Amino acid sequence: MEFKPAYPEDNNNVSHNNPLREFVVLLTGVLLVCVAVFVVSGWLVDRAVLWISPKMEAQIFTALSPAVKDSVGQRSSGEDVLQQLVDGLGSCIDVGYPVKVELVTTETANALALPGGRIIVFSGILDKIQSENGLAFVLAHELAHFKHRDHLSGMGRGIVLTAMTAFLTGSDSGLTRLVTPAVSLGTASYSRSREARADSLALRALHCRYGHVGGATEFFRAMQNEERGRGIASYFASHPEAVERIQQLEVLQRSQGYTTEAVTSLPERLMQK
Amino acid sequence: MEALIQLGVLLVLVSLGFFVGRIAEKRHYSSIIRREQEQLGRPTTAARTVMGDDRPVGRSELVMGSVVISVDYFKRLLAGLRNIFGGRVQAYETLVDRARREAMLRLLESCPEADQIINLRLETSSIFKGRQKQVGSVEVLAYGTAVYFQSPLQ
Repeated sequence: MEFKPAYPEDNNNVSHNNPLREFVVLLTGVLLVCVAVFVVSGWLVDRAVLWISPKMEAQIFTALSPAVKDSVGQRSSGEDVLQQLVDGLGSCIDVGYPVKVELVTTETANALALPGGRIIVFSGILDKIQSENGLAFVLAHELAHFKHRDHLSGMGRGIVLTAMTAFLTGSDSGLTRLVTPAVSLGTASYSRSREARADSLALRALHCRYGHVGGATEFFRAMQNEERGRGIASYFASHPEAVERIQQLEVLQRSQGYTTEAVTSLPERLMQK
Repeated sequence: MEALIQLGVLLVLVSLGFFVGRIAEKRHYSSIIRREQEQLGRPTTAARTVMGDDRPVGRSELVMGSVVISVDYFKRLLAGLRNIFGGRVQAYETLVDRARREAMLRLLESCPEADQIINLRLETSSIFKGRQKQVGSVEVLAYGTAVYFQSPLQ
């Protein structure tokens, strides 16, 4: 047998397709699947939330999250004032179960609605707000979340998101990093629409309680100064920009014919820390 | 904001992997092709006996060549996507192909005086598994027997 060296013309062990095309096609597929799963499960969560009665919710979450301050004796006078405000709003927004307010001393200016009928108010908010009406609006906003059961659907969607991320992380970590931004974009826009809905109900409640809507935009005006120029980040934000919220409230106020009158100043007892 | 930063980091990594990986691969292939053509004259086979030559064998020795090659970030991601849907993982084809050929070349270049290489074997192993056991880089080891014929004068 004679040895004749020859060099193959083509390398047929390697595909010559464009990898970028393959990448785009596959990524689009994954994203579509994720978005579909997220939309469908989000819809299911929203449906399921309606089936959770306030009683069941209270049972589940008091077991899960023990109260920060449980006994009545520990409640500060500030909390009593806040509680009175919430109870006063109760006739305007009927949540269906008792809501308990807790005041946490911190510089953060915010308030949260937690499952199980708990509103957490961070004391930093008291420096941003000058009037009782302004504070009542913030509390009404949180009550509106309870009324719409946003706290539950938000949590349910969070669980779905975590499950999905865990699933993807199981197969490939780089992928998760590609998909998460897309999904969080969806979550954020969903969350912003919820916030807007809660704002409008809160405005109605404020009008119902005080007969006018003075002080409604107080908190947002204070926040507005802090968040100038969010740019592209606004698409990822869970809350609408303060400017937008103020505008929406003003539009709603005009369409409903709500008036603005003099506001009541914050109760003295709340200011003593 | 956090998601944005994450996406930005990822985009940088992916495009770095894509462009740098592409250039590195092109260069490697042109080097492989040039060197393979230089080495073409010597019979290199997987057969266990010397082929096409009646000269007595003077000596023989074990020769080896090995190389470790890694895929770039872009290809790793692409392979990850492919893993979901199934099918040919084209992203890894060049990785393995380059590694095999480079290992062979290193073997051949280690014994420039040998007349034939027989009993050639190739072994592949993935030596780095990233997070989630992704293939990161492969090692290919080529080994065989270099045969030196007796020169007519001896």
